[in-house]
Amino acid sequence: MGDSNVSGQAYALTVMAPIVSEEVSELVNYLDNLGSGNASPLSKVGGTHFARWVVMDNLVFEGGRQRPDSWSGPRLLFTSNFDGSLDSYLDRLHSGLGECADLVWGHCRDYPQGQGLQAFSDWIKRYQIDTSLFYAAYGKMTVENVLHSLDVRSRLAAFAGRHQGASAAELKAAFLQEFQS
Amino acid sequence: MSNVEGKATAITVMSPVWPGARYYLSLLFAIARHPLAKKGLGKLETLSFIHYARWTVISKFPDGDRGEKLRCSYLLFESNFNGTWSEYIDAFSEVVPVRMWAIWFTSFGFPGPQPVGPFKQYIRKNEYVANHYWSAYPGASATEVISAGRAATAVAQLRERAEGLDDAAFEEAYREMLTTIQRGL
Repeated sequence: MGDSNVSGQAYALTVMAPIVSEEVSELVNYLDNLGSGNASPLSKVGGTHFARWVVMDNLVFEGGRQRPDSWSGPRLLFTSNFDGSLDSYLDRLHSGLGECADLVWGHCRDYPQGQGLQAFSDWIKRYQIDTSLFYAAYGKMTVENVLHSLDVRSRLAAFAGRHQGASAAELKAAFLQEFQS
Repeated sequence: MSNVEGKATAITVMSPVWPGARYYLSLLFAIARHPLAKKGLGKLETLSFIHYARWTVISKFPDGDRGEKLRCSYLLFESNFNGTWSEYIDAFSEVVPVRMWAIWFTSFGFPGPQPVGPFKQYIRKNEYVANHYWSAYPGASATEVISAGRAATAVAQLRERAEGLDDAAFEEAYREMLTTIQRGL
């Protein structure tokens, strides 16, 4: 039935890495102060639709018949919804994040600081969890497709407004000029 | 620390599940992934504000081959949607209550999707707030992305045909295209 992490061409990456307990506050402080939008380090990782880092510092205990769990320490959850294969994405993640990758995952256990792409990829895969069910509303569209489509849609709406009442000849000429292949 | 980026909102919930429930959940999700069971996921399309969502059954925290063994398994849910947190939970509760129940009834403390008040309290208790959240197109809703994809395809198709159409035929094709896709503009 194929890879459960994949829907269309989209891939759901889930990574849960153990944080060095004494460094949780420092990591939280760093992540909380990352810039948003184009200032986010994730904006430099091509093909990423949505991504997040979440510091999970406790496990929920509901009581009743649940046996309370202990764990070796807090975990850093990273999830990403991206285009293409995992290996090509880890390459883009490593190069796109640059030193930010070290500043984030460097607070996690056994992180191979400065040891290159292969060590980085192996470490990420070591803490990856396979998705059980992945839903993508438009899994065939890459980020590039989405941004291009939004641009076309916006230009078409403006074009339609500008050319109300234009003659057929004017309309065709303007359309071909506006939407050159 | 933020679950919001433009129009996009993140939700991250990890709930402990009954002993043995991981076998049931793994089977349930395997069935839902099967091509013949696509209708199960297709119902999510009626929740048109969801970009991406995933469920992950965790029986041990990953660490290579060894892993860290747990006393109970956990169900991790993450979603990227547009709108507010409260509207999102309301919609899940109203539109797909049976599917919600089928997925979460094995979670400790799950009160059921209806009434929505206790359900929201349950989600809040099991939720984690993102420390950093990013979207490539924070200004677009899921519906806008899908309608934009249709518009771009229609424009490309008309562009391809345009050279072979006389002016009157082009105008007719252009009007027809706008009529077809205008709801998304």
